[in-house]
Amino acid sequence: MLTMNNISKVFQTDEVQTHALRDFHLKVNEGDFISVTGPSGSGKTTFLNIAGLLENFTSGTFMLDDIDISKLNDRDRSKTRNEKIGFIFQSFNLIPDLNLYDNVDVPLRYQGLNAKERKKRIVHHLEMVGLGSRMKHLPSQLSGGQQQRVAIARALATNPRFLLADEPTGNLDTQMAKSVMTLLEEINQQGTTIIMVTHDDDLANRATRKIQIKDGRVSELDVVRDNAEVNATEQAIA
Amino acid sequence: MQELGLIFRALLRNKVGALLISLQIALTLTIMVNAIFMMQQRSEQMLRPSGLDEANIFYLSNTVFAQDYNQQVYLEDDLALLRQTDGVVDAIQINAIPMSGGGWSMGLQTEAGEGKDSTGVAVYMVDDHAINTMGLELLAGENFSQTDIEWRASSQNNWPAKTIITKAMALALFPDDWQSALGQTAYINQAEPMQITGIVKSLQAPWNGWSGVERSMLVPYKMETTGGRFMIRTEAGRRDELMPIIEKALSESNKGRIIRRVTTMDDTRERSYRAHNAVNKILTSVIAVLTLITGFGIVGLAMFSINRRTKQIGTRRALGATRGQIISFFMIENLMISSFGVLLGVGGAIGLNIWLVSTFSMAPITPGLIIMGVIVLYLVGQVAVLYPARKAAKISPAIATRTA
Amino acid sequence: MFTYYLRLAWISIIKHWGLSLVMITAIGLGIGASMTTVTVNYLMSANPIPHKSSQLYNVQLDSWDVNEPYNDDGSPPEQLTYGDGTYLMNAKKAFRQNIQAQANAVIEPEGDDALPFMVTARANSADFFTMFDVPFLYGSGWDASSDDNKQQVVVLNNETNQRVFGGENSVGKNIKIGGNYFKVVGVIDYWDPKPRFYDISTGAFNDSEEIFVPFSMIAEEKIGRSGNTNCWKPSGDGFQAFLNSECVWLQFWVELPNAQAKEEYMSFLGAYVEQQKALGRFERPINNRLNNVMEWLEQQQVVADDAIMMMTMSFMFLLVCLLNTVGLLLAKFIGKAPEIGLRQALGASRRTLFAQYIIESACIGIAGGLLGLVFAWLGLQGIASLYGDMLKGLTGLDSTMIVSAIGLAILTSIFAGLYPTWRACNVQPSQQLKSQ
Repeated sequence: MLTMNNISKVFQTDEVQTHALRDFHLKVNEGDFISVTGPSGSGKTTFLNIAGLLENFTSGTFMLDDIDISKLNDRDRSKTRNEKIGFIFQSFNLIPDLNLYDNVDVPLRYQGLNAKERKKRIVHHLEMVGLGSRMKHLPSQLSGGQQQRVAIARALATNPRFLLADEPTGNLDTQMAKSVMTLLEEINQQGTTIIMVTHDDDLANRATRKIQIKDGRVSELDVVRDNAEVNATEQAIA
Repeated sequence: MQELGLIFRALLRNKVGALLISLQIALTLTIMVNAIFMMQQRSEQMLRPSGLDEANIFYLSNTVFAQDYNQQVYLEDDLALLRQTDGVVDAIQINAIPMSGGGWSMGLQTEAGEGKDSTGVAVYMVDDHAINTMGLELLAGENFSQTDIEWRASSQNNWPAKTIITKAMALALFPDDWQSALGQTAYINQAEPMQITGIVKSLQAPWNGWSGVERSMLVPYKMETTGGRFMIRTEAGRRDELMPIIEKALSESNKGRIIRRVTTMDDTRERSYRAHNAVNKILTSVIAVLTLITGFGIVGLAMFSINRRTKQIGTRRALGATRGQIISFFMIENLMISSFGVLLGVGGAIGLNIWLVSTFSMAPITPGLIIMGVIVLYLVGQVAVLYPARKAAKISPAIATRTA
Repeated sequence: MFTYYLRLAWISIIKHWGLSLVMITAIGLGIGASMTTVTVNYLMSANPIPHKSSQLYNVQLDSWDVNEPYNDDGSPPEQLTYGDGTYLMNAKKAFRQNIQAQANAVIEPEGDDALPFMVTARANSADFFTMFDVPFLYGSGWDASSDDNKQQVVVLNNETNQRVFGGENSVGKNIKIGGNYFKVVGVIDYWDPKPRFYDISTGAFNDSEEIFVPFSMIAEEKIGRSGNTNCWKPSGDGFQAFLNSECVWLQFWVELPNAQAKEEYMSFLGAYVEQQKALGRFERPINNRLNNVMEWLEQQQVVADDAIMMMTMSFMFLLVCLLNTVGLLLAKFIGKAPEIGLRQALGASRRTLFAQYIIESACIGIAGGLLGLVFAWLGLQGIASLYGDMLKGLTGLDSTMIVSAIGLAILTSIFAGLYPTWRACNVQPSQQLKSQ
């Protein structure tokens, strides 16, 4: 569903050229759960920004569902983001002025759904992440884990085909991180493709595919499942 | 001193915000300086003395409608009644009231004949009680005597032989030495001679906007008129008490006329300068509100820039900057913004003044006023930025190590 | 989507109420100040007789002193001499013509306890009422024969009719004015043109007169003249000598239905002045003028200098408020960069965001405009109390001004919002999402 070929991204500042990505290749299949690791400054975030259509690339081809992304204008890119992609961020990025209901409502508004349908989806997704009773609360009244759950509800409310997560557990303690991770796995099992950037190897290993970015280039790694860890988590949930 | 260049470079990174403040300061200065200047000019006009004992004088209109009305007899009766009333210092019949806006002007010239230069002067037709009633100060010469007073029929056009003029009028006729005017002959109606027998210190014309407002003359006339006025001077403090008494006494003494518009000189002055007063009050509020808005604008933008730079400020504190240094950073930044604004504003103020001078023939502005405006706006800027700067100084250095 | 944006604007305004308050107050004050001064200017420069102002002409002739122009700019006197006025009147060369002067009189009502009182009066010709579209409650104006026969007739305004006749139809009754009996021929319904264009010699915003009598009553000495009189040449003694003098004290208006009529009248005036020149009058160059109502008001600078100056300053004031709002909106919107980046990530296009923030600006503008109306109303009350009756009738807010105040406020704030919104929409989403 997503193919990147020869993608490179060059930041031009005055006289210095910085290659954030060079000759980047990636093919993502429907239903993948890909974790992306790599040292700081390796180009992880740039990759995610390009994959999420938040940033343009300098050269190469990027096809999303057979659409050539480089040919889209701002409006179509916005539409594509809105309809196909869900985002989850390390710092949650909820709008502090809006309550949970309104936060989840934001992407639905841009999708132009009617009020009834929006309400159905908001309630459904907030309940799904276990926050159905706190819809009128402001983000500042929630814990970090709860905020991230809202962010996930928001990302899923548009029924995106694919979810981009940037260090989704980076600001959470271990316990919360695990439950968020479990949630992501469930989502993936229901058919949503996920690309997740993380620096935590344990989490990375729970993905179905694991890639590493180094100096702007990608390499595919084998997934090493630590079964004991998985069992422990499953027990915890049970 | 702190790193001036550094502050300046930081400022350049937020050019638009700084420019907006500068423009506000510039416009505020432009308006402020010109408005204060306009107010000063009006205040000066309002402070000019009329020459009258204003606090104790009132006047009234005597409108005759009866057909068989013996003007001469009734005028003498009225004057006698007024002058005998307890508490009245003196009273006269007069054709016009200083500052009231309505009156009579003529031209006086020192040489007889058509086409000679003449000087406009306000004409007050009064008898020998005028100086006492109005409370004028006679600087030279003497008052009219009773025998100087002539009767004037309603459309009569010749003039008596004597006149008393103001010092300003004397100076206008004889620019070298006003005292030399005494005893001289001036010509009215181009050729009719009048001898200047007295000079009073000041007596304003009825029109306060006239450039010759200080030029007046007293003419010894009693008028046969259906629309005369009486001016009455009372003992100090008894004016208000006497006004209704006199109105009633006059109304009842003769039913062939209407006594109306019983008015104090204080009211006349208020009315005469009401527009001036109004403009001054409006301009004062404009300046006050404008300064407040500019001040709040500075506060708002400074608060914003501090919020945005919270982490940077915390880092500076962590690296050893004192609170005083943080405060002075913002004060110096504001000083730079103000300087640019003030520079533009001085140009704007002069520009607006040039327009006002050419369109409304106002006087050009004084440099002192501009300097004062500049100082005021620097102060406003510094005061406005003080609160945000102190808030910035309270930012904890610990913020630097916080990530999210 | 529009209601959604409105709701977002509302939330944003409430959340940042301090900043919003400063902006709304600033716009309100700017609008209030501008509207106050604009209203005064607008009412001062209003067209008092819109449907025929272009057909009514004031007549000016330059009969002044050869040695010195009447006005420094060379324009002729605003008024005419009695001789010239009566000649033009008798010539009847215009479609309608009116010779007039200001006067006043004492009315002595019937009845023992009724007190005599003073009224403002106008001495004018029969055509006055038809030319200036004077509305009548009872009766009508007099006809031209009353002018010619010097009949003692009078038209009263409604208030005077109330005062003397208790408001009943007084047409045909007699009234004692200045010791003489006049027959009432008409009672005027409410009529108070602002500016009082037909005679601005004693102030452009005076009330219209309380009674109207034929112009001949002045020469007959049945009524006392008032108003401005200007002379340049000594005249002899007595009233007849005054009438024959070179003093200017009356106004002359003609109604000329079209350009051709105006041209003909102009040449008639030219011929008259030539003829007078032959008799030794009119020594100055020919300087006859016909100005229609609006030209006349413009030329006589009916709008006070003070009013124009204050309007200029209040617009500069508005500009300061505008800059203030631009600055604060900029601060606010840039402060919202993370939210803007997020909205972009969630599918908002630049156009969508632009709409959202422009609507927020407009909401602040509407609030500011409404507040501005309150300030304008207060300002006008203030001006009315400062000036008293000097600006009577010039401090009312009408619907035009209310609509323009709000319109101006919205325009102002949208204009103020443009740059900040543009900046906001150019936020790079990827830079805002990583960390806060």
